[in-house]
Amino acid sequence: MIEIYHLYHQYGDEMVALRDINLVIDRGEFVFIVGASGAGKSTLLKLFLREVRPSRGHIKIFGRDLARLKNREIPYLRRNIGMVFQDFRLLQDRNVYENVAFSMRVTGAPVREIRKRVPLTLELVGLKDKAFKRPDELSGGEQQRVCVARAIINRPAMVIADEPTGNLDPVTAMEILNLLQEINIRGTTVIVATHARELVDRLQKRVILLDQGRIISDQERGVYLNAR
Amino acid sequence: MHVRSLLFFFGEALKNIVRHGWMSIASIAVVSITLLILGSFMVVNYNVSLLTEDIKEQVQIVVYIDEKAGEGIRSQLQRALVTHPELEEVRYISKEEAMERLKRQMGDRAFLLEGYEEKDKNPLRDSYELRTRVPEDIPRVAREIMELPGVGYVDYGSGIVEPLFQFTGVVRWIGFAFMVGLALTAVFLISHTIRLTVFIRRKEIMIMKYVGATDWFIRWPFIFEGLILGLVGAVVPLVIIFYSYGAAHRWVQGNIFFLSLIPVEEIMEELIRVLAFLGITLGVLGSAISVRRFLKV
Repeated sequence: MIEIYHLYHQYGDEMVALRDINLVIDRGEFVFIVGASGAGKSTLLKLFLREVRPSRGHIKIFGRDLARLKNREIPYLRRNIGMVFQDFRLLQDRNVYENVAFSMRVTGAPVREIRKRVPLTLELVGLKDKAFKRPDELSGGEQQRVCVARAIINRPAMVIADEPTGNLDPVTAMEILNLLQEINIRGTTVIVATHARELVDRLQKRVILLDQGRIISDQERGVYLNAR
Repeated sequence: MHVRSLLFFFGEALKNIVRHGWMSIASIAVVSITLLILGSFMVVNYNVSLLTEDIKEQVQIVVYIDEKAGEGIRSQLQRALVTHPELEEVRYISKEEAMERLKRQMGDRAFLLEGYEEKDKNPLRDSYELRTRVPEDIPRVAREIMELPGVGYVDYGSGIVEPLFQFTGVVRWIGFAFMVGLALTAVFLISHTIRLTVFIRRKEIMIMKYVGATDWFIRWPFIFEGLILGLVGAVVPLVIIFYSYGAAHRWVQGNIFFLSLIPVEEIMEELIRVLAFLGITLGVLGSAISVRRFLKV
């Protein structure tokens, strides 16, 4: 699903964000990417979305070489990747239903299909009763559920969550991770960038540790190790 | 693009306008007020220039024929004037006609002219009244004609005509400068207002990019929105000017009969062209340009 070989990324002339990354993530995996701030987690996620291009090396997603991906093909790549953000990034002037439907509408999905699928997805994330509330009427955990619903509504092959629990208390954070696990069980690859040590340790999934732009360890059923 | 997607994007634009109601009203207001100021000034400016043109049109050259000139020289002079490339109108006024005109002008006191009417006693001269194609050429053309054989005297209001032309020239330049200044201000204000409507929604654009919207899918509603805001913003001042200028025009016609204003229809035609063009172009371009900035994610 994701294949990365000898990947480097550099911002400007000086700051090297990623060095010699080699990584394969298979379909259906659940992967944590951990590391301190500035270790390169965000850059790696940006590369997956082709928000930035690699400076050197190869990155293939769904078998497509991202270096060769044309700008106008990027939207179609992203439709296959659901994004969950730390700060939720919901549209405050629209209710939950519209926020989730928005993601489908931009792909040009027919209205009938949207009407059918949005309620089902809201039910899946446990927000069936909050469909017509606005984001500011919801708790942080609920807002993040909306964000998850929006990420999976297009049935992407992969969901990427960037610090999804950063703004949440531990109990709510665990709920969100459980939700992501549930999505994973249904066959979607899930990649979570985080530095929430407890959660990582509890879930016993594959853990990739980044430090100063390098992969220091990559363990199946791993725990959050400290760098160095 | 299909008509259906066009309609879809148009619908999205309308929805966005309603959703951001206050912002839409504010930007329509800015566009309207700016174009209203520009439009009103254009109305004044066009009328002032019509007025100055009118005044200039009334300036003419009068060529008095030398009494001693014989038939040959007279017809030679006539030919020279009629074929003169810079003259638009050449009218011969015999001294009998001139006498008639004078009598009419004197009205009740015409009796003073009694005795001068007989052919040999008429003190007036045969003359030509000339109009040039370009009023500003009058002093130069008059000097040229002065040199022609058979010309006794040339009168073109020298000393009055030159400052008059200078004045009308200045008026025209000031009007033009103001119009350009106002038009530039309008461009600046309107495009910034439209950009602001996009700017406050940059987050929405970013989210659209993340969930896989194509650039055109994001762009079209904004373009239509800019078009609608610009168009409505242009229609409002056009309607205001149409009614207020119409009223002003009727009042002037009823009360100041010697002042001729440009007809409402004629001025509206020009205003529609300029204001609608500015509103729509700035709306569309303003949106398209500012959306582009946020599409780079």
